[in-house]
Amino acid sequence: MPSPMDIYKFLPKTNCKLCGEQTCMSFAFKLLKGEKSLNDCKPLFEKEFEENRRKLEEILAVIEKATETGLVVNEELCIGCGNCVVVCPVHVYEDPKGAGSGYGVKLERPILRVENGRVRVVDVGLCRRYRDKMICVACRECCPTSAIAFLEEL
Amino acid sequence: MWTCTGCSCLCEDVEIDENTVRHACRIGAELFRGRSISRAEPLVEGKRTDIDSAIDKAVEILKESKGVAIYGLNRSTLEAQREALKLAEKLSAFVDNGSEFGRIVEAIFEGLIPITTIEDVRDYAYVQFYWRCDVHNSMPRLMARTYYARGKKRQRGYEEDRYLVVVDVRKSHTAMLAKKNASFFKTENDAELIGEFIKAIRGGVASGDVMRVVREVKKSEFNVILGGQIDAPMKLIEEFVKEVGYFVPLDYRTNSMGFFKTFGRRDELEKIVEDIDTLIVVGDDPMDDVGFDVMKSILKLKIIVITPKISFISKFADVVIPSAISGLECGGKMLRCDFKEVELKPPFKEGFSEEKILKSINGGL
Repeated sequence: MPSPMDIYKFLPKTNCKLCGEQTCMSFAFKLLKGEKSLNDCKPLFEKEFEENRRKLEEILAVIEKATETGLVVNEELCIGCGNCVVVCPVHVYEDPKGAGSGYGVKLERPILRVENGRVRVVDVGLCRRYRDKMICVACRECCPTSAIAFLEEL
Repeated sequence: MWTCTGCSCLCEDVEIDENTVRHACRIGAELFRGRSISRAEPLVEGKRTDIDSAIDKAVEILKESKGVAIYGLNRSTLEAQREALKLAEKLSAFVDNGSEFGRIVEAIFEGLIPITTIEDVRDYAYVQFYWRCDVHNSMPRLMARTYYARGKKRQRGYEEDRYLVVVDVRKSHTAMLAKKNASFFKTENDAELIGEFIKAIRGGVASGDVMRVVREVKKSEFNVILGGQIDAPMKLIEEFVKEVGYFVPLDYRTNSMGFFKTFGRRDELEKIVEDIDTLIVVGDDPMDDVGFDVMKSILKLKIIVITPKISFISKFADVVIPSAISGLECGGKMLRCDFKEVELKPPFKEGFSEEKILKSINGGL
């Protein structure tokens, strides 16, 4: 996962405030959180910063794939074992007779569900990382094919 | 909810709608989604014909044959297997399903090895040995149902309420799951390691890793060995299971346990291929399991293939009879890897079941 400093390096560093932020550094933080987009930085689209903009787009491409909790699922690597679905503490609490007991999750909007043999993120609203701001990696811990990853570890 | 017949887990919670298969692993999902791909057609000597003519030709070949073997039946229902048994008795035919589990299953039937069910493993088992099987790939959902799931007496999750032991010749995907409260043994000599475990359980001294596992084994009365192809003398395996607790044979072939229950034996195709002149293949493909020399011998035989899909062997068959996919297009019963009988409710109804085809052949003889 890129740090705010990695992003700041490629920004104009003029603190022009055109983006609505006081400094380029705070703009870098907001970019990482997904609260601002590169389009908000007008000077970046000038010819002088064209190469910097391209590099920033490359860095931010990883973040775009991720959900709000930083969860990135690589469907190609997933074999649909459903370990992540069964082991998720929220699923166990909300659906003890389904996912909690080793079966397919019965919730209408679960966090993860195996569809067509691959795990799919359905709704991160229930995830402890989103709701309780907690660093939970239960789903990633039981995935030996590395189909699940979190941004902070990339 | 439908039953998946992709492997011997026989998961009974699969949901399907027009474009989506829910809860099934990749093996199961492709079974449902790719149902109509590469379907077999009735063929006699490579020429398209109708199913009745193909069955008549098969009967004709069988009447003239002097030695017959029936291979496969792993994806067939118990009913189809019973029909194949009648055929085998009538023709004094050899039977084989390509599974290496014959010895262990024999010991289970004799009551020498105590077995348990997947549900009981989930509810009560503390130490779980996965011995010589990469279940994460061969039976993908098994660990979610036994190790990661919470059970009646195992409510606190796998990190506290379970102890995982993986034994294999390499660091497989299953072995990668051995993290917290777990051990991985990389060995090519199963007999030696089993001997060490038995010695340590009986109060002897062994290496540090073995002692750590034995300490965990002694904490609970319900421990289980989920065994693949364990390479050790039967006597040693029996002793080991009795010391540890229970056993579950992990043969990924869908209804392999049903085959052993129906036939009670297996004649290895490699050994009898020279004594036969006709081979009936039901559902499976022997070319997946045998070596090149045996393959060459098989191709010299008269081959009758009953299969839902085109396979390697069906390309060389004298007669191909298309059948319905068991569990998807025709119902019946199958035995799960832990010998629990599962009733199959087919979501689609199409084609002739293997049972019907074998019955017609039986009737014609």
